[in-house]
Amino acid sequence: MTPELFFLLASILFSIGLVGLVSRRNLFVLYMSIELMLSAVNLLLATFSKVLNDADGSVIALLMIAVIAAEAALFLAMIVHIYRSGRTIDSDKLNKLREGAQNA
Amino acid sequence: MLSLIVILPFLSAFLMALVYLENAQKKRYFFYTLVGVGTPLTVTVLSFILGSQVLAGSDTIYQTLLQWIHVDNFNIEIAFMADRLSIVMISFITFIGTLIHIYAAGYMKEDEGYGKFFAYFNLFMGSMLLLVLADNPIMMFIGWELVGLSSYLLIGYYHNESSNITAANKAFILNRVGDFGFIMGISLLFVSLEGSGFTFDSIKEHINMIDKETLSLIGILLFIGAMGKSAQIPLYVWLPDAMAGPTPVSALIHAATMVTAGVYMVARYSFIYIEIPDIGLFIATIGAVSALFAAVIASYQSDIKKILAYSTMSQLGYMFMAVGLGAYSSGIFHVFTHAFFKALLFMGAGAVIIALHHEQNIFKMGGLKNSMKLVYITMFIATLAISGIPPFAGFFSKDAILVIAFATEHYILWGMGALTAMLTAYYMFRLLFTVFLAQPKEAKNLQAVPASMTTPLVILAFGSATVGFLGANEAYGGSAWINTFLSLPDTKLDISHAKEYMLGGLNVLLGLLGMGFAYTLFAKEAEATKVDTLFKKLVVHKFYIDEIYAFFIVKPLLLLSRFIANVIDPRIFDGFINFNVWGYRRSALLFAKLQNGKVRYYALYILIGVSGMSYYLILKLGVI
Amino acid sequence: MMDNILSILIFLPLFTAVLLGLFRAELKYLKIGAMFSSVAILLLVTWTAYNFDPDAGMQFVKHAPWIQNSGMSYFVGLDYLSLLILLLISFLMPPLYIYMYHENRKGYWYNMMLLQTGVTGAILSLDLVLFYLFWEMMLLPIFIMIGKYGNGMHQYNAMKIILMTILGSMSMLFSIMYIGYIYFDTVGMWSFALTDLATLSFNAKTSIWLTAGFLLAFVIKIPLVGFHTWMAPAYGSSPTPAVVIMSAIMAKLGIYGIWRFGFDLFETTLVYYAPTIITLALIGLLYYAIRAITEDNLRKMFAYSSGSHLSLIALGLFLTNLYAWSGSLYFIATHAMASAGMFIMIGLTYKRFKTVQISALGGIASKAPKFTFFFSFFALCIAGLPGTGGFVAELLIIIGAFKANFWIGVLTATTMLSAMMYIFWMLQRTLFGKANNDTQYKDLSLREVIMLLPLAILLLATGIMPSLFTPIFEPQLTASLQEVLNIIGGLK
Repeated sequence: MTPELFFLLASILFSIGLVGLVSRRNLFVLYMSIELMLSAVNLLLATFSKVLNDADGSVIALLMIAVIAAEAALFLAMIVHIYRSGRTIDSDKLNKLREGAQNA
Repeated sequence: MLSLIVILPFLSAFLMALVYLENAQKKRYFFYTLVGVGTPLTVTVLSFILGSQVLAGSDTIYQTLLQWIHVDNFNIEIAFMADRLSIVMISFITFIGTLIHIYAAGYMKEDEGYGKFFAYFNLFMGSMLLLVLADNPIMMFIGWELVGLSSYLLIGYYHNESSNITAANKAFILNRVGDFGFIMGISLLFVSLEGSGFTFDSIKEHINMIDKETLSLIGILLFIGAMGKSAQIPLYVWLPDAMAGPTPVSALIHAATMVTAGVYMVARYSFIYIEIPDIGLFIATIGAVSALFAAVIASYQSDIKKILAYSTMSQLGYMFMAVGLGAYSSGIFHVFTHAFFKALLFMGAGAVIIALHHEQNIFKMGGLKNSMKLVYITMFIATLAISGIPPFAGFFSKDAILVIAFATEHYILWGMGALTAMLTAYYMFRLLFTVFLAQPKEAKNLQAVPASMTTPLVILAFGSATVGFLGANEAYGGSAWINTFLSLPDTKLDISHAKEYMLGGLNVLLGLLGMGFAYTLFAKEAEATKVDTLFKKLVVHKFYIDEIYAFFIVKPLLLLSRFIANVIDPRIFDGFINFNVWGYRRSALLFAKLQNGKVRYYALYILIGVSGMSYYLILKLGVI
Repeated sequence: MMDNILSILIFLPLFTAVLLGLFRAELKYLKIGAMFSSVAILLLVTWTAYNFDPDAGMQFVKHAPWIQNSGMSYFVGLDYLSLLILLLISFLMPPLYIYMYHENRKGYWYNMMLLQTGVTGAILSLDLVLFYLFWEMMLLPIFIMIGKYGNGMHQYNAMKIILMTILGSMSMLFSIMYIGYIYFDTVGMWSFALTDLATLSFNAKTSIWLTAGFLLAFVIKIPLVGFHTWMAPAYGSSPTPAVVIMSAIMAKLGIYGIWRFGFDLFETTLVYYAPTIITLALIGLLYYAIRAITEDNLRKMFAYSSGSHLSLIALGLFLTNLYAWSGSLYFIATHAMASAGMFIMIGLTYKRFKTVQISALGGIASKAPKFTFFFSFFALCIAGLPGTGGFVAELLIIIGAFKANFWIGVLTATTMLSAMMYIFWMLQRTLFGKANNDTQYKDLSLREVIMLLPLAILLLATGIMPSLFTPIFEPQLTASLQEVLNIIGGLK
């Protein structure tokens, strides 16, 4: 159980999350990718905490779990709202916050 | 006192202009006549006083007014120099000028712009006097250009008719083309002589500092100015059109004075031209060709003033022949005599035109011998003079020129001159006979011609008859007084009296021949030339030179201008700028595509940015 | 008072404008205020000129710190060149205000006052950043005048002039910044004062780029051929007061810039650029003149005329001998007055006929002699008629050109031909012949004659007696030229 294996796992999880974030349009999938990335970071923090015998990393990881939970609530609530007003959960269709006029 | 001669006309012009502008409608006939004619009269008196001083043996009179400019070595003063050459010039310029002013007072009497006319006329007098009395090339050039300006203003005097303005433009533009060469000559002269002063006297002293090549170049460039001002080939086309101005203008400017400025210039710069005889030969050739060319055209013209205009060009050609071959005094002498009879001819023509209610076509005239006796007799005398019949003035001056051509062995030039002499007699008598002798087509009632117009004619006729003796050669019993008086560096001639008599006789014979031809053809029944042969067609249309100029010079300029306006400016320069604008627009559109509002793209950008930065920081800069 | 005179000259119009603006002054007071400030400045400038010593160098200098840490100071001073242009602008503003007498749009008045501050500041600054500030400040009022009050495609043309001029200004700014940086590198502290920066010497390669940056700004302003496409549209769409200042003053600032900054900072590199500029100037001389022949809009025609003569002035500047320099300086003065007079006449034409298209004019001479007189007088001044100042200047430059090189002399002499090509035909169609319209109009009023008379008198005076004017700038000009020749001479 060397730390390198944990790093590897964390990197793989992060990458999967990143790719998912960039390439998927479904808002839920977007959310899950974000969660995945956050989890990967958590794992990394915990591993470093153990490797360096520093408690800071674990503390941050714990705090992050709480924050992630809150974020989950907000995010999912927003998705519900978005669906109710726009009848879509395709992130590509939500592009009003850009320069007006021109074709893009 | 010398400066007054130049300043008074300018001041009077200025005064009259102010008064005229203050209220152009008011007819202040008395005031304008008093100032407008009084000033030239005063100036004439002053000139004669000065002239008598110089005649009595005093040296050149100088007068410096003030410094004009002083920059580095360019030090020019407003200064005047009355040497013998200038004295001869101002004597006839002021005298004949005043006569023509008196004539104009009668001619222009009913005209609205009377005051404006005399303002312009006096401006001209001042400029011409400045030209001949200047003591340095720059002041002469200023006079030179101002004379061109006066000419422009006076030719375009009847400004409601657009074609008159076109003629005025033509005159000024062609003059300016000549001035382009002239100013180059002057500048080159100055730059070559830098540091040793720039008055005619000091240039004469230091002329040997300049090498022959540069001197030849200067000589040609200066002559280009003369080509424009004195209507020689190829810059002559403005002179016939200049007849659009009132007749007094044609008499004064385009006959007696302004056009002779070129000849004066060559005489004034004689110290240059004696060093470069090849250029002199060039000048003489141009003169001879112009003389013959103009004489041919004049033989077929029907407008009385145009005939006289071409005649002037032709006589100017003679003058350039003389000065080109080194006979400066003879050239100036011909200027002097020509002023008398040409002014007379123009004024007489003006009288005829007025009498016939502004008719200018000679073939619509005829039989005026009895109704306009005075004009007839005086014009007859002038015609005899111009045809070179002794003892009238033209004989002595023209003869001198032809003798010189023969004596210096330029036989071709002599031949051209002789042929021109015959043609001169022919077309001048053609004019005289057609106007006065031939049967008129219809009866005419004549407008009365005021005494102010006829009296000058008499005075000038007297002059045409007598002034010839001033320059008569020894062969004819004279002492060539004017040649010795002028003391210009003339080429010495070596010709026997016998030859001179022969040549003189030949000239008279040619003159009589011309007169004879004219008599047979025109004295009874005058018919306008029928344009049947190709040659006649060419000549009547003045060899199409105007059309050639329009086609090869004016049209290309206009085309070039439009080309610049429609192609070069918008497509090339603006095109370059518009290309940049297009480039910016396109890249803007491209960049706009990045901002598409989609979250995942933005996430991608963040990814790329952070990765790039981290890569750079960690791996390149070593920041951990 | 003496010490601060220049600052007063610069800021008085601005101050007046701000004061009047703050109090939302009525039109009547605005006009009075503007007239008062311009006349006051004229009097002060006359007094300054009277106290000007032709033999000393920079005078009335004021050097105060502005942005201390970055080396930008408030550094103003007056020498022969600045004095000349200062005299010109101060002299031209009162007649312009007389011209604008009936103008009821407040924007005109405010903008002209701002313009005067901008121009005065630009010619008096000796600190590079301060100069840049005023240089840009000049543009704003012009932009507003053309963009808001112009005619034709005025908005497009306003944008064009702004963008093209700013392109040059930007490159100049880069050069300024880089020079400041070099100074900091060499000396250890920041300074943008001209006198400090003149002591620097740059290595060849940097110098070429830096000079290019500066030159671009000035060359666009003059304008030299190739950089000129903003000029005709801008002049054509612009209202008269703006176009007068543009032609008479602002164009000269391009020349001024090269003279003041180019020669002090970059003499050696200017030798490198001289052939290019001389060629462009010679081409421009004829290019603009030929272009002007078929132009129907009077303002545009004289825009091209301006360009032609300014190319000649630029040419004179780069022929380093005293004749050409004196000629250029003289021409700056006389051309400013002649073109101001001409554009005012064109403005008067517009007021009477509501058009400046030549094809719609004609036959004025028979109805309005005074108008005809002034119109042709100014036009002939521009054509370089002897007896007017323009001729003296052209003559000097031609002589200077011949001294430098025979062929340059020949090409320069074509200036005799250039103006006449379009002026005479234009006069014929505008003033003479038959009228192409049947508007009722009056001849010049007394007010208008009074406005034009000083210009006409000065043009005649500079033509008839140049010796009255040349001694004022002769000594310094000679000294300046000597300095430049020493440095350049060291190269050859």
